[in-house]
Amino acid sequence: MFYIVTAYHAEAKPIIEYFGLKKVVKNSRFQVFAGEEVALVESGPGVVASACATSFLLAEFEATDRDAVLNIGIAGAKNINLKKGDAILCHKIIYHDTKRAFYPDMIARHDMKEGVLETFDFPVIKGNFPEDRIEGDAVDMEGAGFFEAASFFLPPHKVHCIKVIHDYLEGVRVEPSFVSDLIRKNLPLIEGFMSSLESIDYLFSVGLSGKEKEIIDKLAGNLKLTFTMTHQLKNLILFYLSKHERLPGELYDFLNVRVNSKSEGKIYFERIKKLLC
Amino acid sequence: MKGLKSCFVKSFSHIYVEEGIEENPLTKEILKKFPKALKVRIKHYKDVFCRPRQNFFVQESSRKLILAAKKGELLYRGPDICHDFGNENFYYTSPALNCIYSCDYCYLKGMHPSANLVIFVNVEDYFKEVEDILKQKPLYLCISYDTDLLAIEGIIALSAMWIEFARGKEDLKLEIRTKSANYSAISYLVPASNVILAWTLSPTEVIKKYEKNTPPLELRLKNIIRAIGDGWKVRLCFDPVLYFENWETAYENLISRTFSMIPADKVNDASIGVFRIPRDYLKRMRKNFPPSEIIHYPYIETGGVYTYDEEVKGKIIEKLWSLLKKHIPEDKIFIL
Repeated sequence: MFYIVTAYHAEAKPIIEYFGLKKVVKNSRFQVFAGEEVALVESGPGVVASACATSFLLAEFEATDRDAVLNIGIAGAKNINLKKGDAILCHKIIYHDTKRAFYPDMIARHDMKEGVLETFDFPVIKGNFPEDRIEGDAVDMEGAGFFEAASFFLPPHKVHCIKVIHDYLEGVRVEPSFVSDLIRKNLPLIEGFMSSLESIDYLFSVGLSGKEKEIIDKLAGNLKLTFTMTHQLKNLILFYLSKHERLPGELYDFLNVRVNSKSEGKIYFERIKKLLC
Repeated sequence: MKGLKSCFVKSFSHIYVEEGIEENPLTKEILKKFPKALKVRIKHYKDVFCRPRQNFFVQESSRKLILAAKKGELLYRGPDICHDFGNENFYYTSPALNCIYSCDYCYLKGMHPSANLVIFVNVEDYFKEVEDILKQKPLYLCISYDTDLLAIEGIIALSAMWIEFARGKEDLKLEIRTKSANYSAISYLVPASNVILAWTLSPTEVIKKYEKNTPPLELRLKNIIRAIGDGWKVRLCFDPVLYFENWETAYENLISRTFSMIPADKVNDASIGVFRIPRDYLKRMRKNFPPSEIIHYPYIETGGVYTYDEEVKGKIIEKLWSLLKKHIPEDKIFIL
């Protein structure tokens, strides 16, 4: 599942349309839209709002390590080498207020430019704020809050900020339809990146399947296995699967056994151990 | 579904450089070798290396390079689960963290939170700490435990620097352990009598199945022949020895192949080490890596260390000992 956090509806609108998301009707502080593979939340502006909305979305949808989360929105550029409309995948996000920096794992292939994002608690306008105190190539008001919150839930190769350059910090008025256009034009690039993340997740998923977990749970219950024995059983199953494509048929016979005492369970456990070793 | 390569950014696409070391000559030298890499400035190497929830398994396919200066303690007492080869004052040091190879059984996968490669460029600080200890006592120092220093010699010539530093220091004995076939990177040096080049040797079956990206046995042996021929002291490390189907035949073939190529009388010494790993490292590896015959084997835990049960361990040691002693004098074989 991909989770997306935007600040404004103008940023969310093209994404909602592109992925065919539907509004989730639920009494909540945030506007949420979801489809089969993508869910989006509109946070509103600011670091705290972004952190809250990110936490809300990831908790509400019970995000796991297999999911990824993106913060997509517009930003102002300090670096004049970045063009208006360029999508920037941020390899470093600095929270200006504390100078704390966050680093996503830059592992998945993409065709965007890269840069450093600096998040401020206030709109940065050239002339009102000394330019030499801006460390980032681009400036926003959400990235650091989003990243810190998302990092509580997901690994760093699954948390990313993508910012589309909107202005050069001249303090220009933000026109919603222009913002939507900027985001819309970059969605194929963003989708390409999402596809890389998805492939990596598919190729590198680790652990037992749902069916194997069910077998362990059932055996543990029926045979009254202790916590340690259940853990050993899981490890033995993984050991067996490292050498064989599927679990041995005889293991399924044990699923029908129900014991009356732990000592009886221990006898069956030893038999399973022999079978899997 | 895209292929593996097409969904990953290349390894070393990004180089994270710690503040304050930009002007270090080693930093400059390394950065020159990666002109296309993006340089990212960081405050402390742990800001990247020690982030929570990193996925070592995924990162191995797209490793990044972190350049830093190590602060605090630079030399550590040798742990009990490592050979001291009869030396007193056994220490080890880590001029780099992690390795460019990916061995299934490697403890680094359970020890470090990240697969990224860290190189500490403040080599002079390491040398100073060694010199300080040498003022008090002699030192046996292993410099390639938490990495494979010779394998990354192309990125930075740390092995060569250490060898030159050690040269002539009678109280210092240095071990550089490797699986690499990169001897040519230091072959221009005059051999130092207090430096031991130690090669880890494994059966071809193990190399193919469990030692991803490492050079084949034949190449390692050819490198050893060259090193011995040039006059280096060479140690052969049959460590870790693994237990798997047909392990006996595999190790018989390994020893016979090794000594059909290498003059046994020119070998400095050899070690036998049955696979062993600290409990917490193995726990982490089991959680983060796919099913593996090595990681998920039902080991026995003794004193916080997982290894084979006494029966298997005994069989392994007996077998390797009997094979090795045909070629090397018993007093030159070390067992752990």
